[in-house]
Amino acid sequence: MKPRRYLICCFVLFLSIAFSSRAVEAPDYIENHDTLYNNLTVEKRGTVVELRARSRAGEYLESAVDLADPLRLVVPYTRSLFAAAFFEPKPRNVLMIGLGGAGFHRVFMHAFPSARLQSVELDPKVWELCQTKLAFKPTSQTPVAVMDGRLFVKRNREIWDWLILDAFRGGFVPPHLKTQEFYRECAARLSTRGVFVTNLHQDTELFAADLRTIQSVFPHVLLFQTHGRGNVIVCAFKSAASDLARAPDIAALEKSNPKLASKLDLDALAAELLPFPAELAAKARILTDDFSPVEFLDALKTNNTNAR
Amino acid sequence: MGFQLLASRLLNPFFGSSLIVWAWLISTFLAAFSLGSIIGGWISNAPARHRQRAQWIVGALAVASLAFTAFFGRAMLGQIEIAFAEITTGLLVACLALFFLPVTTLSSFGPQCVQYLASRGTPPGKASGLIYGVSTLGNIAGVMLTAFVLIPHLPVSTLLYLWLVVALVNLTALNLLLRSSPTNSAP
Repeated sequence: MKPRRYLICCFVLFLSIAFSSRAVEAPDYIENHDTLYNNLTVEKRGTVVELRARSRAGEYLESAVDLADPLRLVVPYTRSLFAAAFFEPKPRNVLMIGLGGAGFHRVFMHAFPSARLQSVELDPKVWELCQTKLAFKPTSQTPVAVMDGRLFVKRNREIWDWLILDAFRGGFVPPHLKTQEFYRECAARLSTRGVFVTNLHQDTELFAADLRTIQSVFPHVLLFQTHGRGNVIVCAFKSAASDLARAPDIAALEKSNPKLASKLDLDALAAELLPFPAELAAKARILTDDFSPVEFLDALKTNNTNAR
Repeated sequence: MGFQLLASRLLNPFFGSSLIVWAWLISTFLAAFSLGSIIGGWISNAPARHRQRAQWIVGALAVASLAFTAFFGRAMLGQIEIAFAEITTGLLVACLALFFLPVTTLSSFGPQCVQYLASRGTPPGKASGLIYGVSTLGNIAGVMLTAFVLIPHLPVSTLLYLWLVVALVNLTALNLLLRSSPTNSAP
């Protein structure tokens, strides 16, 4: 190769390396933690801290918080969890199974400052990282119990206005949190107008079995699809009263809770309402404590957020 | 080992799926293997008449305890969960009540099979290696079959009944086979 041509090649190579490194901003830090239940990665990039879990299909974003703006919901499906507000707009007592980085918690406490949000997290390291790396400051209104979610529901006798099930272990949900018996235990702990909320993955065979199982316990089930993410948020009601599972009333929620309306695009949230796939659900088997092959039904093609 | 997978499925709804559950479950099974091997060693060296009686008693105990787990396991776990507020104590009691006896009695047949082969001229080292090698292969087959074929397609209760029938047939056949073992003299 002639010297001139060689120099041009080197220059082009230099430019491509320079631009490619600029396109992907280097993280401020990356930490890996082998915990009792997970292999976690905490990555800070600018003001955003991500909590990711490794699973057989790669690394998945479990939670993320913008430290400069903690009220910004970085992970799209956490906005969809607020669909419960359309049906029970004044929750006083809320249980969330699965803490993650507590991105949901900050917006919830901003929108419902007098409510109490109890969380249950199995992995003590997640709880520790949530405080030390994702800057979550628990208060008497946001207590956290480190234990199995099902055990908490069984042993705690409180009644919840919202009961949110968002417990993942690297994209995988433990089978005993997917059964008819567990949903019955959850329904028993809901207030009369309470909402059971859970986060499902749409593109696995488990989805149909989940819907069928939830429908076997809750008379009314509404679905909200987080666009382009494969997440479907279920809002289910134990009461058969027909006025409960009504169409989302955006104007009423804006009026009753302007703080929430200022942080969420309620129109977009209401537009996520998905027709219930009755035919799909009808073909599936109900998951019970006796028969719950969750691992085999869950193809794990996508996770709650960005596959990496 | 396949039974251990089923045991975890039985325990999860009552005690969760935390590491504590697995620690107690594995420890219970290992303690049962240990005690079962010691008991099996004693039985294999007993005089023929006592040995045969012991083999049938242990076999009957294995079937009866498996039947108890299969028919009353869930009800028992419900009672234990209520009776013990402390998870660790509840788990200990549950594991002992439902899994310790069947695993102890079943694992007592390993040393007896070694003695059977040794009494028929197989060198003791070779007999021991053969029995534990085959037993370990059986465990691998049991785990794979349970995890990838049985649990995905059948309810846990059905699998426990299946285990019970298989244990009944196999233990009867094994006891009839061991009966033909030459008489041992007590040490």
